[in-house]
Amino acid sequence: MIIVTGASRGIGRAVADRLVSQGEEVLGLARTSVSADFEILPIDVSSAEDVREVARSLRGRKTKVSALINAAGIAAMNLALMTPSGSARKIVETNLLGTIFSSQAFAPLIIRAGGGAIVNFSTIAVALALQGEAVYAASKAGVEAFSRTLARELGSRGVTVNCVAPGPIQTDLIKGISERQLGTVIQGQILRRQFTVADVCDVVEVLLDARSRSLTGHVLHIGGV
Amino acid sequence: MAEVLEELQGLVGEAVAPLSPETVLIGDRGVLDSMGLVELCLRLEDRAADIGFSFDWTSDSAMSQTRSMFSSVASLQEEFSRQGAQEK
Repeated sequence: MIIVTGASRGIGRAVADRLVSQGEEVLGLARTSVSADFEILPIDVSSAEDVREVARSLRGRKTKVSALINAAGIAAMNLALMTPSGSARKIVETNLLGTIFSSQAFAPLIIRAGGGAIVNFSTIAVALALQGEAVYAASKAGVEAFSRTLARELGSRGVTVNCVAPGPIQTDLIKGISERQLGTVIQGQILRRQFTVADVCDVVEVLLDARSRSLTGHVLHIGGV
Repeated sequence: MAEVLEELQGLVGEAVAPLSPETVLIGDRGVLDSMGLVELCLRLEDRAADIGFSFDWTSDSAMSQTRSMFSSVASLQEEFSRQGAQEK
């Protein structure tokens, strides 16, 4: 089984759909339950106890978990000095703590299964220090740091940990960004074009492939930076 | 000290002896590296499930104690037993 957080929409949904289409058994976690070709549990990943409860249930059923995709994420474009405290807290709780809590809960299941992969999501906003995304970028920079350390801690148990850092992919997450702003970000990539969720799914599939067992602790930038 | 000592024995085998309640688990004098400690906790999860409770090795209550529950066999057994008694 592969667990995908943020599986109700956006990149998480696309990744989950791709994996299902490849014959994988997927369990989605999302705050809102929606119709899908895979099971979605209504879970807020910023609740450590709720996530742990899912892990307990899977362990009780002796479910073999081969991978965790931490795609749950939220964003709110705002200048650093004007970001409301509640918004800042929610972004960090979902993006960073959600990734930490899910990894803590599900990594032991992956170890029990003999190893596998954890794929976390960062953003081009970290590498480019994009204005208006300070808190979002900070939360994702935390995800990158957590991932590198986790990769070292879990390496000897056959678990790889990597980050995928997309640029502006066409999802709800960037719906408030103007074409001009998008163009500016894309100019910061090595490959100056807008990539798609399909491109992100391709990279996730590569990281889940057994032939990628040597890749860990990396941040893979879609389009390069 | 039954569960922790038994599982630790099963984990490290004859490589480290003698094991006792005072055996230090991690750190300079510890018998386990960090992943060995994770392995021990996974074994204790299974042991707890067999007994009929869920062993939580990341709980705030366990980690906020003055002395880490991972400092010795005795302290880990104490927390394991406490959680077991709490859930029954």
